[in-house]
Amino acid sequence: MRIITTGVAGTMESSDIIVTVEPRAEEGVELTLSSSVMQQFGRQIEHVIRETLKELGVTAAAVTAVDKGALDCTVRARVSAAALRAAKSAEYTWGTKQ
Amino acid sequence: MYNMETGAPLSEARLFQVKNFLNARGLTMEDAPDYTVVLRDGNGGIAATGSLCGTLVKYVAVADTALGEGACATVVSELVSYAYRGGNTHLFLFTKPENDRMFSSLGFYELARTKDALMMENKKDGLPRFLLELEHGPLENTGAVVVNCNPFTYGHLYLIETAVSRCSELHVFVVSEDKSEFPAEVRYDLVKRGTEHLNNVYVHRGGKYIISSATFPAYFLKDKNRTTDIKADLDLALFGGRVAPALNIKTRFVGTEPYCAVTNAYNMRMKALLPSLGIEVVELERKDGISASEVRRLMHAGQLEALKKLVPQVTYDYIVRHT
Repeated sequence: MRIITTGVAGTMESSDIIVTVEPRAEEGVELTLSSSVMQQFGRQIEHVIRETLKELGVTAAAVTAVDKGALDCTVRARVSAAALRAAKSAEYTWGTKQ
Repeated sequence: MYNMETGAPLSEARLFQVKNFLNARGLTMEDAPDYTVVLRDGNGGIAATGSLCGTLVKYVAVADTALGEGACATVVSELVSYAYRGGNTHLFLFTKPENDRMFSSLGFYELARTKDALMMENKKDGLPRFLLELEHGPLENTGAVVVNCNPFTYGHLYLIETAVSRCSELHVFVVSEDKSEFPAEVRYDLVKRGTEHLNNVYVHRGGKYIISSATFPAYFLKDKNRTTDIKADLDLALFGGRVAPALNIKTRFVGTEPYCAVTNAYNMRMKALLPSLGIEVVELERKDGISASEVRRLMHAGQLEALKKLVPQVTYDYIVRHT
């Protein structure tokens, strides 16, 4: 998935994370993370962000994330939303009815 | 829980309440925000507020009773989202120095501080990247000038020539804000080409960090008569504290300013503040009283011949082509 504009998702409120995904000329994902729980979970949050982008096929992007103690599922949701917006993509499937 | 009200801009009556709320906390609203967020508690009282003026986050304040409940995060979050939706992702923030930790935790990074003001930006590598990308020489005995050049005149050329004769390397920053008659790119280009014959002169775009609407809003206000309290201190703290050390700038050259009261007041602050940061301020007498506003006046009056004595060939050619 190619990042063509700036996409943002999330808030700075407690238990959330705000993620900005921007285009980057070079290959690779450049991540700037700040977190209220950096000491404890910084590496885990970074891991979830990078994994989510990988699953979406994003190989070049500048990502900024300000975390306020979001759970992994929240991080994943915010990263996906921001990346899809930044790619102007509508190729997603929300949960389907069982 | 709070109720959120937003206005782009707020109605008069609501803005009045916000102004009172700010005044009670030692803040004064000086310009009209584009967007304001108000959080209200269950009784309808203001719990927190914040505003956006272009790319500047300002006038953020929280009631004592709402401290520690995430009200500030809610406000800033909404302001940032609004700016992003409008395509502005590089934001600046003004606040009091004691709020530094709170805004650090909201993803803002310090640019400059004075004893009563703090300026931050939301990109960690914003200023560092700007500084890294400035072309330079050996950085020995370095000087700087900051010019708007609306347009580039013999007066500016004289200032630059004299300045570079007094140092080994001169950095010329051309103001990037597009609020002058000549577009920013044109002003930059005329200075760049008009100084090509000079060795050791490096011309840069001032960008967001040197006399911009973020660092020195008063410079771009219509009302240029309000010279008291021009609030240039953050711009100078940023220049002296971050830009100058990166290029080893020891001298800032400036032309005498008999015409514009705001620029003159800025020069006075410069002389008061920069020496304490290890930067000498050298004021050079303006050549033959040439002023860019006189050039614009002649241009509008169609007296192009008279311009030949006031502006270098590059500027003259540009004016002829565009009038």
